[in-house]
Amino acid sequence: MVSKTEETQLSNLENQVDNGGGGAWEFLCLVRKLKVRRSEMVLKHGLSILRDPKKRSSLGPEEWTLYEQVAIAAMDCQCLNVAKDCIKVLHKKFPESKRVGRLEALLLEANGSWEEAEKAYSSLLEDNPLDQAIHKRRVAMAKAQGNMSGAIEFLNKYLEIFMADHDAWRELAEIYVSLQMYKQAAFCYEELILSQPMVPQYHLAYADVLYTLGGLENLQTAKKYYASTIDLTGGKNTRALFGICLCSSAIGQLSKGRNKDDKESPELQSLAATALEREYKQIAPDKLSLLTTALKSLKVSA
Amino acid sequence: MGGDSRYEIAQDAYVKLILHALKHKASAVNGLLLGRVFPQNDVVEITDSVPLFHSHIGLLPQLEISLLLIEEHYAAKGINIVGYFHANERYDDYELGGAAKNIGDHIYRYFPQAAVLLLDNKKLEALPKSRDWSPVMQLYTRDASKNWKPAGSDGSSQLNIREPSANVVLLDYISTEKWKDVVDFDDHLDDISKDWLNPQLFK
Repeated sequence: MVSKTEETQLSNLENQVDNGGGGAWEFLCLVRKLKVRRSEMVLKHGLSILRDPKKRSSLGPEEWTLYEQVAIAAMDCQCLNVAKDCIKVLHKKFPESKRVGRLEALLLEANGSWEEAEKAYSSLLEDNPLDQAIHKRRVAMAKAQGNMSGAIEFLNKYLEIFMADHDAWRELAEIYVSLQMYKQAAFCYEELILSQPMVPQYHLAYADVLYTLGGLENLQTAKKYYASTIDLTGGKNTRALFGICLCSSAIGQLSKGRNKDDKESPELQSLAATALEREYKQIAPDKLSLLTTALKSLKVSA
Repeated sequence: MGGDSRYEIAQDAYVKLILHALKHKASAVNGLLLGRVFPQNDVVEITDSVPLFHSHIGLLPQLEISLLLIEEHYAAKGINIVGYFHANERYDDYELGGAAKNIGDHIYRYFPQAAVLLLDNKKLEALPKSRDWSPVMQLYTRDASKNWKPAGSDGSSQLNIREPSANVVLLDYISTEKWKDVVDFDDHLDDISKDWLNPQLFK
């Protein structure tokens, strides 16, 4: 996760570099450290350092790190010739390196030579069966070819070995959501909540999936997880506040005419609605009347 | 039935949707089409659009909230939701996916001439060279058997842009990186000070 201060630092540096104020190397280092995707900027400014022999040699051994960084950025920008040149330099310097081998496989992948890339990755995995990055490339390759069931299969296999990889669980959940396989997505979010119970995003996503699944029981559980999202964010989550209102309305409709025990107390919904109105009044006053009408229509239908 | 209607999209509505897709190149995005129908000549005028989401497109809560607020805003002006725009996650994916069809179905229930537009990446990429005036989107309409079918396979164009120079304007905006300024409903839910109406975008 990138913190707010890091984000500001990055965007300040980005502006400075883009306006010719220097600091390109610091920017490139920060991008690497934060693992953010700024491929166009990295390609432009990384390449200008690499093309200037004086600047390049002043980096010392970091030169090779930059070649690697620029190669990956170039592939992301479809500048495959630049990537090829960078990888060639690296291959000459480190002929036996697995890390360079990984880049070469990546280039095959970028070219759309799926079979050759698959072969390259397989042989790299033989040397090191626990190379997480390569397992992930195979998932990405399946996805790039539109083979979603293959991607799911690779991810599930990967998660059998690396159960604690939260990003992988999240990726799997998102694939399931995109395929409208909501029950499976819910399972992934349950895993994530179990292993990291204090992350509000997981509570929110779980509630969203349950609401999408529908049915009284799911809606009631969804409402609880929206409530815990609000709790974990100190009341500052617009999506969860809306979620409470939606759930209350849907539960109200479903439990019409049922006995009292199934009925919801209206308190939570009013609280959420009030919090939303307060937020909009303060931050987006021009949308307040719109919000009030929408909330009213949710209440009436409940 | 939307089968025989013709659709005319205004330049701003058209450009906004494509800029939104370009802002989030690595993910699927969607948006709403707003306008009105002229029954006498069976033309649906798409006068505006609202960029919706760039994440979790298959989830209902955010969609329901956005529909509620957007519908309410435009109803006051006599404008309705008349269709749906979708751009796939993968560049070479030309299928209209399940989530997109479901959202289309939902809109169809309230507006039987609903249009679904799918971004055509190849046509978009070729624009600087092709100088094509036609929209870089594929129109889908719902047929009698309730399937979404690509329109115009017989060569007739059911979808037109009102301003013929829209693609030139679009290319200009792309080169000046105008897409950076597009705000969608996702952005609004993360920070409600961001306005999904994008009032400043074409100023």
